[in-house]
Amino acid sequence: MGTASVPLPKIFRTSSFRLTLLYSGFFLFCCLVLFLVFYWAAADSMARQIDNSVASEIGEIKADAKTQDIDSLKSTVDLLAKTSADFSYLLQDRDGHRLAGNLPAMTPTLGISEQPNQMDPDEGKTLRGRGVRLPNDVFLFVALSTYQMHQMRQAMVKAFLWGMLVTLVLSLIGGTFMSLSILGRVEALSRASREIVDSDMKRRIPLRGSNDEFDHLVVSLNAMLDRITGLMDGIRQVSSDIAHDLRTPLTRLRQRVEVTLHREQDVFSLRLGYEKTLRDIDSILEIFDALLRISRLESTSPATQFQPVDLTEVLLTAVEVYMPITEEKHQILTEIVAPGLTVVGDRQLLLQLFANVIENALRHTPVMTEIQVRGLSTDDAIRVTVEDNGPGIPETQHDLVFRRFFRCDPARRGPGSGLGLSLVAAIAACHNCKVTLADTAPGLRVTFEFPRMTRT
Amino acid sequence: MNILMIEDDPETAAYVAQSLREERHAVSLAKDGPEGLATARNGGWDIIIVDRLLPELDGVSVVRRLRAEGIEAPVLFLTALSGIDERVAGLNAGGDDYLAKPFALSELLARVQALGRRSRTTVTTVLRIADLEIDLIAHKVFRGGCAIDLQPREFQLLEYLMRYSDQVVTRAMLLENVWGLHFDPRTNVVETHISRLRAKLSRGDKPDLIQTVRGNGYRLRALA
Repeated sequence: MGTASVPLPKIFRTSSFRLTLLYSGFFLFCCLVLFLVFYWAAADSMARQIDNSVASEIGEIKADAKTQDIDSLKSTVDLLAKTSADFSYLLQDRDGHRLAGNLPAMTPTLGISEQPNQMDPDEGKTLRGRGVRLPNDVFLFVALSTYQMHQMRQAMVKAFLWGMLVTLVLSLIGGTFMSLSILGRVEALSRASREIVDSDMKRRIPLRGSNDEFDHLVVSLNAMLDRITGLMDGIRQVSSDIAHDLRTPLTRLRQRVEVTLHREQDVFSLRLGYEKTLRDIDSILEIFDALLRISRLESTSPATQFQPVDLTEVLLTAVEVYMPITEEKHQILTEIVAPGLTVVGDRQLLLQLFANVIENALRHTPVMTEIQVRGLSTDDAIRVTVEDNGPGIPETQHDLVFRRFFRCDPARRGPGSGLGLSLVAAIAACHNCKVTLADTAPGLRVTFEFPRMTRT
Repeated sequence: MNILMIEDDPETAAYVAQSLREERHAVSLAKDGPEGLATARNGGWDIIIVDRLLPELDGVSVVRRLRAEGIEAPVLFLTALSGIDERVAGLNAGGDDYLAKPFALSELLARVQALGRRSRTTVTTVLRIADLEIDLIAHKVFRGGCAIDLQPREFQLLEYLMRYSDQVVTRAMLLENVWGLHFDPRTNVVETHISRLRAKLSRGDKPDLIQTVRGNGYRLRALA
């Protein structure tokens, strides 16, 4: 038996790999957000540092400007411009003429601003400074180069990009490994289950003992296999039972035909042979009919057709049908049935159920046995008992009697197909009726508990 | 009787038709639903035998349509489906009787006979065979003027036998019509009840009116 199998997916199409990719993508996005915050904070802090230095430098010049006239201020600024390595200065008058410093004249801008560096116009080498108006109506601009800040930013971006790249590669590698390992376990699982289905249904998938989700899956799969084997065994059992139990009547039938054919010469004996043959065939057909009924009851739910049924009437009819037979066999059949018992069900099926049980009782008990049918209503159920004081059934067989073809007499002498109580069980089950057997020492009590009809 | 049989299996149809003809019935055959419906509409049938599973139009639909058109001929369903719901469905559609395949030919013949008789039954209050008389209203039975005491079910049994007197009544028919059992108990229930009835009816060395038809059933006759 070959199993249809979907080939294992390529590694990049496995769901674990896709999940890894998705996760790395999300992780990288988080890194980016983190970086942006960090970058913004660092850049801001560097700019503020520049601003602070510039502000203190301006503060000093301002202090000087309070005491000096414009010329000495000019020379101070020039001196500063010459000596300072970092700062650049510009002092210009109201008309925009440069008075001192090492920066060219500019449009006076008060407050912080960034200006292109005329002397070193490379990219990123701008000046960041602050313009103030001093007494005497002169404009002072002090600035620092942003070069360092720029370098720093570039280094950060570069480091970040490299970092991202490494993370991406690592996560791809990790994802591949993870997917491969999961894929491997899935493959092992599916190979094991395919082998089991193809060859040996008794085998089970081994557990790794790690108690992880795969073990969990394995437990479920094994449980499923158990159930399947159980059902298969059941079917095998029933079919071999059928084959076995039909052999007997068929053999008898064959013998009868053979004997009739070879031995009987006169028309009357031939007729008789035919009649018996017909009866044998009928009994085989009956077995089939019973089997069909049972399997139909078990497989479909007739409950949709169920209606309230007068159980009292059903019980009385069943008792009445068998009354003359028990009298003939010198058995005693009595009933104590409460009036007005009603259950939801099918009258025919219920009749058949109780007919089978009563028939069973009178068939398997000796002369003078008392068989009593009781029907009563309890608080939570409608209870029917069929009780006899015959030999009873050994307790060990109580569960077996409802099986198809089970017969207490292993030699299978006497009439009966071993299907009567299976039919009883099937009918009871579709009526939600609980059946229990009890030993009454001596005798057998079969109890049926029907759910009470809920009034609507 | 004029019998129409709607059956798709030619072998079953031929076999049943032959047996019915041997019993001096006129038989027409139809092999599927539409043909059966068309033939049935011609009218003049005493009994229509319909297979439940027919090609194109199933037996239940055929009968439902016939009943809707006012064709009242008794219908006997044949079926390979022997579930209780199938029987109910067939009878709800307007069928009068129901027989599960495989069936004994004698069973079919007996039922056809009974159905034919049923369609001609007139309302009576007293049934009489030889010196046996039953009063359906007073529920009283007399044999040669002497009252016989019967239990209610025995009365029903006798009534059924008398309604269909001079014809074979099978065990299954008795189980269905007297006790309402649509299955066959494996124990010889009917035999036992019949023998009790027999004993009560022929008390005082009177001739036995209930004849046993071997392998088939029983027949109530004026001349035993």
